[in-house]
Amino acid sequence: MKKDKNLDELFRSKLLNYEQEPPAYLLENILAGAAGARRKRKIVLWRIAGVAAALLLAFVAGWQFNSRNEIGTEPQVIVSQQSAPENAIQTAPEIKTLQAAPENIQLAAVNEPAKNNEISTKSIIKNSVSGKINLMAEALPVVSNDETILLKPLKSLFGLLKQDLASANLLHQKKLNDLKAEYPEKSIDQQIIEHNRQLTMAHTENTRKGRWLIGAQVSPEYNVSRSSHSQVYASNMLNASSNPVDLGGGISVEFKKGKRWSLQSGVYYSGMGQSSGNSAYPNRNLVSSDYGTEHGKEYFNAPVNIDSKSSKMIMNSAAGVIEFSGVPSGIVLGTNLEDKSLASNAVVVSEARFIQNFEYIEIPLYLRYSILDSRFDVEMLGGFSSNVLVGNNTYMESNTGKSLVGSTQNMESLNYSGTLGIGLKYGLSKRFYLNVEPRVKYYLNSLNSNSSVTYKPYTIGVFTGLSYEF
Amino acid sequence: MEDFEQIISDCNAGSRKAQAKLYQQFAPKMFGVCLRYAKDATEAEDNLQEGFIKVFTNLKSFRNEGSFEGWIRRIMINVSLEKIRKQHLLYPVEDVSIYDSVNFSDDVIAKIAADDLMKLIQELPPRYRLVFNLYVIEGMSHQEIAQEMSITQGTSKSNLARARDILKKKVHETFGEWNAKNNYTA
Repeated sequence: MKKDKNLDELFRSKLLNYEQEPPAYLLENILAGAAGARRKRKIVLWRIAGVAAALLLAFVAGWQFNSRNEIGTEPQVIVSQQSAPENAIQTAPEIKTLQAAPENIQLAAVNEPAKNNEISTKSIIKNSVSGKINLMAEALPVVSNDETILLKPLKSLFGLLKQDLASANLLHQKKLNDLKAEYPEKSIDQQIIEHNRQLTMAHTENTRKGRWLIGAQVSPEYNVSRSSHSQVYASNMLNASSNPVDLGGGISVEFKKGKRWSLQSGVYYSGMGQSSGNSAYPNRNLVSSDYGTEHGKEYFNAPVNIDSKSSKMIMNSAAGVIEFSGVPSGIVLGTNLEDKSLASNAVVVSEARFIQNFEYIEIPLYLRYSILDSRFDVEMLGGFSSNVLVGNNTYMESNTGKSLVGSTQNMESLNYSGTLGIGLKYGLSKRFYLNVEPRVKYYLNSLNSNSSVTYKPYTIGVFTGLSYEF
Repeated sequence: MEDFEQIISDCNAGSRKAQAKLYQQFAPKMFGVCLRYAKDATEAEDNLQEGFIKVFTNLKSFRNEGSFEGWIRRIMINVSLEKIRKQHLLYPVEDVSIYDSVNFSDDVIAKIAADDLMKLIQELPPRYRLVFNLYVIEGMSHQEIAQEMSITQGTSKSNLARARDILKKKVHETFGEWNAKNNYTA
């Protein structure tokens, strides 16, 4: 270590305060460099100040023009110039005429595009003093379709020119125009650029932030019964025959994040029916074939029991046990002494259909994925719903008409279902959409808690409606 | 002291005269610093020029609290360091080798001129030159050097040892007399 210090000391002692005169030309370079750096810094400051002033000026100018030059509701216009004699400055009355009939002007512009010497807004304003000014309708070559935003600067320009042209002294007016022309020229360009930028940013921001859609849909719902039963239950059960088409629908709320994914919920009403009948039964098992029915040798074999608890008449159906509130009028019951294959006390011997209606309020949670995102959107949707039972009625339909006879026992008050579907969305306008959505809903648990009954129908529906995006 | 503060104040106001005065006062010493960190006089001149321009443009940030010479020296070192960084010359050397030690007699030391030593330092590879300068001349610790150069302390020690070894050999070759001794470490 000592030896190191020896070496270190050698260098330290000789070099720590080592001085050498630098070449003379360096000073000049350094002073010039320092002055240049100062200038550069000043220039940067001036530039910043200049940009700030220009922005302030543009803002004030835009604000002033917009606030003082509001002109009705003209279509999208761009100012164009046609060749015209010198000193033919058109004054306010002519411009007013043009204002009064914007549609005609627009038409003329469409029919005779070649005749008009169309030039950019920039050059128009420069030449506006000496040229004959016309208005010509034309789609603006900008990103936005927002008329109000695009018209603002042009309205400002139009109003400004009108005011200038109305001045008494032509020479004075010309000077004024020359001065002011420079001003709105920048204002228009800047405003259009700024507005387009804002729209693009707003669109990007919107997509990033997420959008909401609310909608209303209705759908015919076709219910397909899927059930299984214990053997004893099934042997005394009505025959499920047909499934009526019910009506469903509701209000949806959708939150769209990004371009593809969205989450949907809402409140839907869903009706579901189950129709059962007592089928015509051949009389081969009958001890006596004459029941005095109008069908002669046939009888209808809907088995009926009396509930030991409620002492009410009950019948087994595919969806569960129907409990009658009383003995329905127009029904003919017979004792079951004759048919030994039936374990019930009685049978309904007159023809009747029993329609069980269940009504649900559905609260879904669907995930949607956009497959095609254009004017005509195609989406896949899937999810789960909670279904709250709000209606449980059984009707009997016979020759005497349709009447409410009771309800179905042991229906679960809350059920869960899964849904799959395809969403077709057509944009009617920027914010309104027409929706057509074929969906299949499948109940995940049995709707009836009776241990002998497993009732899990599925529903096919085509939901049609409108939605609004905001 | 008042004069010096006045010079600084005038420099801040953009006075060329004051700037020239300040330059003349510190340039020889700072050129010496730049020479130690540079590979040759041309690079040292560039660094000195760049360093002084920085001094004049950033003079307002000097608060008269510490040593002005220390402040200006720090700027010169930073400029030199930055130049080497930009040239991507800080290649890593991680080996900690054991080198022979050398002992110089006072006679030898007396014979060696500072200019010669400066030349030897300039001939060192950039990284060794930096570490040797920072450790031996500036008196920085290996921890400080490691932070400054974004290397490990071990690397700093290794580079210092290697720099010493090279310098010793060169001193011997140049000035003849040396005594080989046994190992040493940084």
